[in-house]
Amino acid sequence: MKPNKPWVPFLFAAPALMIFSFAVLVPLLATAGFSFVEWSGYGPWTFVGIDNYRELLTDALFAKSFLNVLFYIAATLVLEVFVGLCLAGLISVQRGGSLWFRVALFAPVMLPMVVVAVLWSFVYNPDFGLINAAFQNLGLDSWTRIWLGDPDTALWAISVVSGWVFSGFFMIIFYSALQQVPGELSESARLDGANEWRIFWSIKVPSIRNALEVGVLLCVTGGFQGFDLFFVLTNGGPYNSTEIPTTLLVRTVFRNADVGYGSAMAMVLTAVIIVVGLVFVRLRGWNQRKEVRA
Amino acid sequence: MTKTQGAPKNYAALKWKTNVARGLVTASLTVMALVYAFPLVWMAVSGLKTNQQIFRDPFALPETWDFSIWLEAWQVGNIGQYALNSAITTSATVVVILLCASGAAFAFSRFDFKGKAILMGVLSLGLLLPLQSYFIAQSAMFNALYITNTRFALIIPYIAMGLPLATYLLTVYLRALPDELFEAARMEGASDFTMYRLIAMPLLKPGIATVAIFSALNAWNEFLLALLYVQDDALKTIPTGLLAFSSRYVTDYGLLFAALTIVTVPMIVIYVAFNKQIVEGITAGSVK
Repeated sequence: MKPNKPWVPFLFAAPALMIFSFAVLVPLLATAGFSFVEWSGYGPWTFVGIDNYRELLTDALFAKSFLNVLFYIAATLVLEVFVGLCLAGLISVQRGGSLWFRVALFAPVMLPMVVVAVLWSFVYNPDFGLINAAFQNLGLDSWTRIWLGDPDTALWAISVVSGWVFSGFFMIIFYSALQQVPGELSESARLDGANEWRIFWSIKVPSIRNALEVGVLLCVTGGFQGFDLFFVLTNGGPYNSTEIPTTLLVRTVFRNADVGYGSAMAMVLTAVIIVVGLVFVRLRGWNQRKEVRA
Repeated sequence: MTKTQGAPKNYAALKWKTNVARGLVTASLTVMALVYAFPLVWMAVSGLKTNQQIFRDPFALPETWDFSIWLEAWQVGNIGQYALNSAITTSATVVVILLCASGAAFAFSRFDFKGKAILMGVLSLGLLLPLQSYFIAQSAMFNALYITNTRFALIIPYIAMGLPLATYLLTVYLRALPDELFEAARMEGASDFTMYRLIAMPLLKPGIATVAIFSALNAWNEFLLALLYVQDDALKTIPTGLLAFSSRYVTDYGLLFAALTIVTVPMIVIYVAFNKQIVEGITAGSVK
């Protein structure tokens, strides 16, 4: 449609574009610029070219933070996406009163992550926490740990909290996808004697592939950006065993006042997230083309 | 004959099998629901216990059901102030997002104009970019402009972060409306603004509700920027306020549990009341 006056559409779009440019685009370009300087946040800066990036290449802690976040992502793919899928399967078979199950399983998603983190710091508390108390009551005293204070268990402990929160989120996404699956196929399989287990895994799960792919993408890209749980529960410790790129770069910029180096980290992290996203979109397009041909 | 006799028997066996399967499903769901809900219930119950009681037996029920501790936590924890700050920040964010995004969506979906593709592309960059790609310079900018430590330090970035997805979704909703509607209005002499106000907005209501819900939840729960941009305790929102409270009263566990419960209960009530809209908002917000 043609507008009354040629400038009208710009007027409609202007507020959104102005706010977005001011608060996202300009800072994005500036952060990219920061990554080539050395600056403490105040006073003058010095241009250092690609030195920050060169330093990152040999920064063992930065490399470790990526390994940690990859571990976390792998763990949450199981604890969030896979568990979420299983829960969605159970919920979709449950007749009628599934609302209360959904409320219980989804409630953690609604809470601010800080609330979740403080609560779970109590659940993991070595003195009165639920986990250790449960092991003690079962006579498994040797299983008790300082879960968040032990480098061997801290990253696992955080991944479990993440699963507790987000499996409900993925459950909801997969559940609404499962409801769109037409019933005929499962019905005829049922008449042929297939049980619900087979029907779920061989018919329903393949037909919600789209939702599953989106779920995996969200889990991976969201995992790289995780911050709240890590910051409140361990802030990278003990001995950097839960250090991830986001906690590391926040500390580099806002505690150590090394803005340039932190910006370089931010740029690398951004590049990784965008590349993962684009590769994923490519793969999906490629798979869909393959399906069309087949 | 044998067939008609066999059928009910088979049917009975099948029915029995289905009942067992259904029972198993309900049982495992019940177990899962209990496991998921247990930390929350434990939190609510522990809030009514003293430190000694918490340490003596973490699973025990409180000796007295004295709910006055909730009032104490509310006052000592300054939760009223934090909740008010969160409410102001969230509502300002949502109102501006809805106004700006619906305007932009109206322009993108209904008009042909030069530069449309570029402008849409710029805005949809926001769907891809993680917060980490811009918040370092954003914080330096806000410092330089004296925005840090004001309410705007959170409202402005929350709006900017919410706009791309909001605009994208509203554009999709608006595209689905029939062209005839707008052409008929144009014939009647309606101006562009009249069409936006009297046709697009009323018909967009379901989409607007969805966008409002996920924008509100995001703003209410956001933590990183709130932590970095607002140090003034009088302006802190619930996430950062609660964190400050928990580091001030590190060892008063009963009080902390009570504070966590106060923040948690309304969110669960809201979910139960608006469960359908929230699920829609969250799935629309994620499956972009």
